[in-house]
Amino acid sequence: MKPKVAFFDFTSCEGCQLEVLNFEQEVLQLLNLLEIVNFRELMTERSDDYDIAIIDGAISTDADVARIKEIRERASILITIGACSSLGGVNCLKNAYPMEEVLSVVYGDAAGYYNTIPARPVSAVVPVDYALPQCPVNKAEFLEVVKALLLGKKPEIPNYPVCAECKMAENACVFDLGRTCLGPVTRAGCNALCVTWGRHCWGCRGLVDDPNVDAATDVLKEHGLTAEDIVNKFRIYTAWTGGSE
Amino acid sequence: MEDKVISKADFSSMVDRLIQEGEYDSIEGVKTKDGKYFFGSLTNSGELCLDYDVTLLPPKKYFLPQRETVITFRQGERPAPEPVAEASSVVLIGVHPYDLKAMELCEAVYSAPPADPNLMIRKSKTVVIGVDCLNPNPQSFSASMGFATTESGYDLMLTDIGDSYVVSVGTDRGADLLARYGRAADATATNLARRDEVREMSLGRYEKSLSMPADEIPAILNETWDSRVFAEKSEVCLSCGSCVMVCPTCVCFDVEDTVALSLDSGERYRKWDSCMLTDFAKVATGENFREDRESRFRHRMHRKGKYLLERYDKPGCVGCGRCGLACLVDIALPADTYNLLKEAS
Repeated sequence: MKPKVAFFDFTSCEGCQLEVLNFEQEVLQLLNLLEIVNFRELMTERSDDYDIAIIDGAISTDADVARIKEIRERASILITIGACSSLGGVNCLKNAYPMEEVLSVVYGDAAGYYNTIPARPVSAVVPVDYALPQCPVNKAEFLEVVKALLLGKKPEIPNYPVCAECKMAENACVFDLGRTCLGPVTRAGCNALCVTWGRHCWGCRGLVDDPNVDAATDVLKEHGLTAEDIVNKFRIYTAWTGGSE
Repeated sequence: MEDKVISKADFSSMVDRLIQEGEYDSIEGVKTKDGKYFFGSLTNSGELCLDYDVTLLPPKKYFLPQRETVITFRQGERPAPEPVAEASSVVLIGVHPYDLKAMELCEAVYSAPPADPNLMIRKSKTVVIGVDCLNPNPQSFSASMGFATTESGYDLMLTDIGDSYVVSVGTDRGADLLARYGRAADATATNLARRDEVREMSLGRYEKSLSMPADEIPAILNETWDSRVFAEKSEVCLSCGSCVMVCPTCVCFDVEDTVALSLDSGERYRKWDSCMLTDFAKVATGENFREDRESRFRHRMHRKGKYLLERYDKPGCVGCGRCGLACLVDIALPADTYNLLKEAS
């Protein structure tokens, strides 16, 4: 029997769900392997009976907390896709301000009708089996993880910096080109996509398990950034510092 | 073997003819992007840069690609594994002496039992045209390693003597290629004197050097296992693996299996790995026997300066300087560490 899969979105742009919808070539084969029972961007039917829950978006309201706990109870495997659900992502930038201020900036006079809490990754609320960070989710990695789960294998998520992949892609180093980059501490797995296409690494896959942040900070300073620039650069995707469940 | 001379214009014509006639699957040479150099497919001789300092990646990538399928299989009870060893015919133009010496080491590693045929098959189908390095990069110490020039590892070797190249013929295959595609004459005594002179002049352009003869490195490493140099240098290591990924003598790979979405077939592939990455020495129980930066850094210095030399009788470092250029925290160049260890011992 095909495993039943449900997609759920929380606080996000839903770009990760769009990425999954963009499979085109692979979608029919995927549907041979999986039964999709919940996918708001794809279908109107809904079911609470599923084996695998795939989550995009950060947790940022009390209602989100209750909902993700319920999903975790129903799902035997829970996977987060994208930077928001896996790391907290850009949503956590608001955590530097009082929640009342955040609400009034966004909702003005109607602020009193809304609830918000400091944004956090799913793993800060419930245990996550596999986290696939990146903004948006990496389709190739998503497929590898799906295949690994179907075969009963442990998916491989790299634990080394983007620099390693960037060298294999034979890119000129962003630092040599007079710019700065978070590649030296950011988890690989994207094949250095942004540098390959002429930009720099923004850190959307989060930090490796054992980043040498002090050394990376010194490198960024040597290349002209101030302490404040560096904090801001790191905060874009990794502002969440509250750890995980 | 014999020495020839060919004008630069005639060499360009030779490259263009190689590209146009299509006898070889591809003609690869040194090109430029973002102010750096790299080996890539040539579409005309104008793209070729033979006065470069160093390429981002060594030409090793043609023989040991970043990612390579080694076995295909079927899922299920009869996996029917099939080895994969595909190689196309290539003319590779513009390889520096240190990279030729590095390839000799890679060949020694891959042909030692149990022999791994893929690299050797590719090597056998590649005609290598070297070029002397007259403009070493600021981190290169290949002259100290004895590899400013080489007498082996090429089919043809060019030396830029101004308007022409002296062409040292290394193999019959090289002589044949030159005879069929190039308009070369026998080199005169003046040509050869000029070659010796430009080679001699290039030796003065190396900014980095060893403070000891290269053959003393293993003894120095033997005496300094506990030296503070390893801890001090590795404190700022980013464990990013860049030094290894750009190295022409690093030969390690990781192996993974992947299956098609149909789940009925798959492939086993290998991809470059790096002993400087945190999880390189992590084993199935979760134990990591080189968990800290210092032990990884020490390992790399021993591997480059001693282990490979002892096992294959060829140096594990050719002094190309790529690691020194790639390292953002300036700790990777073996010569710097060996010099510090020598001072401390």
